[in-house]
Amino acid sequence: MPLIDPVTMSAINPASQSAPAKTSSPIELLPNDLARIISQVHPVLLLSAYYLRFPSFVADPIPTLLSSLLPLAIIQAAYAALCLPATGSNAKAVKRGKLNGAKKIGDAPSANAFTLLFSFVLSLLSTPVLAGLQILFGAPITTHLPHTLLSSAHLALLTVFPLVYVHGSDGKKWREIASLHSPIDEVFGGAVGCFLGAWLGAVPIPLDWDREWQKWPVTIVTGAYAGYVLGKMVGSWLLKGRRIEFD
Amino acid sequence: MVQAKVPKAAPGNYNSIAAQYARAKAIKDAEEVAKLAKKAPKEKTPADDLDEWKKGRFVREWWWVAGAFMWFLFIHGSGLYFFTRGFLLTRLVLEEKSSCSEPPIALSSSFKGAGTIEGGCWHPKTFDKAVVVIIDALRYDFTIPSNDTEAFHNALPFLYETAISQPQNAFLLPFIADPPTTTLQRLKGLTTGTLPTFIDAGSNFAGTAIEEDNLLMQMKDVGKRIVHLGDDTWTALFPGYFEANISRAYDSLNVYDLHTLDNGVVEHIMPLLSPERKGEWDVMFAHFLGVDHAGHRYGPNHPAMTTKLQQMDGVLRDLVATLDDNTLLAVMGDHGMDGKGDHGGESDDEIQAALWMYSKRGIFGRTDPAYITPPATAKIRPVNQIDLVPTLALLLGLPIPFNNLGKPIEEAFAGKKGNVWGNLAAIARMTAAGIKRYQAAYYVARGLDESTIEGSPHALWATAEKAVAGNGKDKMWKEGYAAFSAFQEETLRICRELWARFDVPKMMLGVGILAASVVALVLFANWNAEDEAAVDDPELDIAESKLELESFSKGTLTSEDETSAKSFIRGALIGMMLGAASSPTIWIASGGADTFVDFGLAVGSISGIVGVFYQELRRRMEFSNPFPRTLWGWLAVIFTITQSIGFASNSYTIWEDSILLFFISTFGVATATSSLRLEKNSERALGVYHSLCFIALGWIASFSKLCREEQMPYCRSTYYASATSSTSAPWQLLIPFLLAALLPSIIKSYYASSRSYEGFAPVWIGWAFRSGLVLSAVFWTLDAADDGEWLPTLPTGLLKNIRIPIAQTVFAVSIVVGTIAFNYAPPCISVRTSATQAPTAKVTSPNATVTILGFANTHGTRYFLLLTNILLAVLMVQKPMGAGAIALMAWQILSLLEIIDLNSLASSPIGPVILALLGSFHFFKTGHQTTLSSIQWESAFIPLHTIRYPYSPLLVALNSFGAQILAAAAVPLIVLWKQKPKKKGILRSVISALAWHIAYYAVISLATTMWAGHLRRHLMLYRIFCPKFMTAAVVMLVVDVVGIVVALVGVRCNSMAIGEVFGWG
Repeated sequence: MPLIDPVTMSAINPASQSAPAKTSSPIELLPNDLARIISQVHPVLLLSAYYLRFPSFVADPIPTLLSSLLPLAIIQAAYAALCLPATGSNAKAVKRGKLNGAKKIGDAPSANAFTLLFSFVLSLLSTPVLAGLQILFGAPITTHLPHTLLSSAHLALLTVFPLVYVHGSDGKKWREIASLHSPIDEVFGGAVGCFLGAWLGAVPIPLDWDREWQKWPVTIVTGAYAGYVLGKMVGSWLLKGRRIEFD
Repeated sequence: MVQAKVPKAAPGNYNSIAAQYARAKAIKDAEEVAKLAKKAPKEKTPADDLDEWKKGRFVREWWWVAGAFMWFLFIHGSGLYFFTRGFLLTRLVLEEKSSCSEPPIALSSSFKGAGTIEGGCWHPKTFDKAVVVIIDALRYDFTIPSNDTEAFHNALPFLYETAISQPQNAFLLPFIADPPTTTLQRLKGLTTGTLPTFIDAGSNFAGTAIEEDNLLMQMKDVGKRIVHLGDDTWTALFPGYFEANISRAYDSLNVYDLHTLDNGVVEHIMPLLSPERKGEWDVMFAHFLGVDHAGHRYGPNHPAMTTKLQQMDGVLRDLVATLDDNTLLAVMGDHGMDGKGDHGGESDDEIQAALWMYSKRGIFGRTDPAYITPPATAKIRPVNQIDLVPTLALLLGLPIPFNNLGKPIEEAFAGKKGNVWGNLAAIARMTAAGIKRYQAAYYVARGLDESTIEGSPHALWATAEKAVAGNGKDKMWKEGYAAFSAFQEETLRICRELWARFDVPKMMLGVGILAASVVALVLFANWNAEDEAAVDDPELDIAESKLELESFSKGTLTSEDETSAKSFIRGALIGMMLGAASSPTIWIASGGADTFVDFGLAVGSISGIVGVFYQELRRRMEFSNPFPRTLWGWLAVIFTITQSIGFASNSYTIWEDSILLFFISTFGVATATSSLRLEKNSERALGVYHSLCFIALGWIASFSKLCREEQMPYCRSTYYASATSSTSAPWQLLIPFLLAALLPSIIKSYYASSRSYEGFAPVWIGWAFRSGLVLSAVFWTLDAADDGEWLPTLPTGLLKNIRIPIAQTVFAVSIVVGTIAFNYAPPCISVRTSATQAPTAKVTSPNATVTILGFANTHGTRYFLLLTNILLAVLMVQKPMGAGAIALMAWQILSLLEIIDLNSLASSPIGPVILALLGSFHFFKTGHQTTLSSIQWESAFIPLHTIRYPYSPLLVALNSFGAQILAAAAVPLIVLWKQKPKKKGILRSVISALAWHIAYYAVISLATTMWAGHLRRHLMLYRIFCPKFMTAAVVMLVVDVVGIVVALVGVRCNSMAIGEVFGWG
């Protein structure tokens, strides 16, 4: 009389915890000097631009966040186009993106342009999702909605944009990314760093220091930028190829 | 078969219902046993013997475990006791009031109009009007000349100048505050004349208003019109006392603003002093805060302080210029400030304020000509701040407030020449008699015999009475005055010793014991945590049990300790015995300084802890890496530690609820991420679904808010109908009905996922639990109808008479019937047998397939029945909004259990810690804050008409800490959920989880204790840190008790019941 419940036996089995097959490998930069240089200039550019805009950001968050979206998009697009292998491009042997599956080989520039556009669209689409996540973490819902949405747009351009550019819309890969199990490289590392930084950015908000910069969402966005740059550098150098393990 | 009748229960009487249930149950049990006995006359097999043996082992083990947790409770209580003894100052508040016509002792000489306010109640009246000016944090050395060039010196010379140049019009004295030197406590002292403490254990915790007899109350009672200008602390302490149109209160907490308040006071005070408007008031209180704020913001040695003091100097000169003959002016600091400009503690700089009194009439005197020069330091001829109370009362002809412990200030009554000893003796005698009357009343209220109090000043009183009994010679009066003053000083000394002293060594001892208990808890939890993943192989299990049976029948099976509880207890006991043996030596060595009970408790706690540590050291030869090994362990540590550190800051303490939501959401995102790594699609989907569910439910609950004052204006209360009411909005009444409709079904869906909605579950969850919820909803509707007078035609009290039995029935169902039902309930399983002719089986023996539905979650689903009982009881005492939050919490717990199971986290500390976070979070969502004023006292009256002990305090505790109680009761589920019968090592895993859970609260409690002790001079101590410390301490003790009484006892019942059916693992 085997005492087995067919419904839930499987849930008890600890073996089901094992990670997805580790077939993916970290992203490499495009193999040319320009890519290497731009990749180093990119964080400096981001941080100095952020530093310059910071006073006006604190004084007037919405217009500043809005007006800096386009420059940020241009910086990210240039960085992606010049440094990163587009999804399905010849830098990778296998075409995995559904997106470029039908594209002809040798059509690289227009394909890249299309990938850029596609990345922008997905970043835009992911903005409300990220805003929802911020709200679930305790961001105000009845007020400050433009603030939250705009800060999410910045988060999306920093993280979702390069990720989509290099990985396309491959479901399996995205599951790996969402489960934080992708091998660390500068794109994934930057994204993780960005979210961790935004998470830590909430820390100074409650303090009663009465500083202007404590207002929503200044600290979050600051944390995100700092975390992005830090994560990108650590990901491209210190922890490259490693994976985040929970257990 | 035995025929038995069950008498009908009296409706509404829960005792009767319970008894009926028990009788019916007993009969049913008897029937079943009889049936079983008839069907299968059982023979005892070796396997049964082994089962018996295992059961005995479990029971023994359980007692050791319970002992270990009781020891933790004891140690926590002991640590908190010592800290509290050193930290919290308690005093009973008496309700008696002085009255004009009843002096505490017969007047020694009669005067015209004695006993009336026109002539003076207990002493001839000197002034009709008074202006009392408080310059917050006016330290004594700010007012006297100094040779150095510090910014705070020589900036306010007016007081000193007048005292020297017009000694009959003015005097300046050091004015010593009693710690705690915070404004609120000081104002209590300055108006009641008694020593302020944090807890004035009076009839009403909820308000900050002073209920004791005080100067303002006496003024109001005789019809004096009081004006207040400045610090709004006054309006909190004396609501409704002040003339509404001419009083002006300003926010007192914005220490960055040095001028708004002061300028506002100046702007309003001068017009009121003008001859035209003098008739509008009798007594004026003006409270300036600029000096204090300059100290807090810049420290005393800053140009801003000079400016501020100079401004005050000018203001006082202007005041004096406009004063008339019939008005007394008193200027004082309520406390001083330390070197950094802060205050709250008991250092010299903090307690040394200044007092200056002025009158145009020139009635002040000195008993010694040398006294004309104000003292050079605050150590010389100081007066106590409470001395102001009898002084002002007697000068204005008012009765001295009942609680006064101060004595009249000599300079104000000594006469111009300083030799009116008869007058001095009379006022000293009157004041001393008042003090004596208060002391007698206090000892009666405390139930103490006054004569047993050491150093009782009875003898001094007798001497003083004898001294004034003779004829009225000046020498006699002088002696009498001295003797009555000595009586007052001695009484004050005794009271001060009793009420107002931080005892730092005791506080340190308490913190040390708590810290050691945290270490012991973590070691205990770590040792009992399951290290390796259990192999789940039925064949191996069978082989193993065969082997076990074999060695058992040979008699070689030895009982190994499953948990470390036994050796733990042994360590504690040996340690305590050694401590007890050596205690006489220590007692003598320490000089027997303390009471014997305290000493015994300290030695017992410390030696027990030492014993436990020794045992732990012996057990594990090496110490493994103390840091967590998984990300989950790290998360648990980060959540606990960062929060503990945050409690050192008032901001993080104020916003604790938001921080908890942040952590809870973080955990949900982490588990969603982790669930995405699961191989099976179905499990992955479930894991993500439950994680998102967990986050969303917490977020929805976060809309239930009761804001504390400090959160304004960034918070909007939603718990009640409006910010100024404590009743629910009509739409909130829908919540309990929604719960009755949905909550049982939600629980059912979690049972159904493991096919466990079988056996007793449908009856209890679908029927009894739901009925309880419906009754609770009806109760709250009736309550709202009563509050809102929806049915004005009904006789008063009818609705109350209906709803109270309803609440009693719900408690009867959840606690009495629920406990019995849980104890006897069969597992939530059902056996289906289908006889099938298997093709391979032999024709002669038909193969029967037996399916046990709900087998895989036998432990969890049965234990959860206990949780529904607790849930029902907690839901009953919450207001509709709070009930919604608790229901969301229950749902979150269910999701958490699924998440823990799917991600195999049952042995990680993260599960118990998240449960603790949930408990802490929903504490706020059920309309509470870590302030005394947020306690919902009215919950004591939900099932009762009057206060009844011990039920009323228990009900308030159930209301206040319902969330934490529910969380603690749910801890075993972390281990038991999705656990099949005969699982080995369950108790061990449960106590590890429980220890982790308690460890969270112990760390929080330790941290808040340390911060409260460390920040005992902080401006916000009594508003923020002390209430947080008290909440954390009470929560820890409540969780300790619930851990033993509910969780451990529940696991015992559960394991016994399941072992009975399936055998022991």
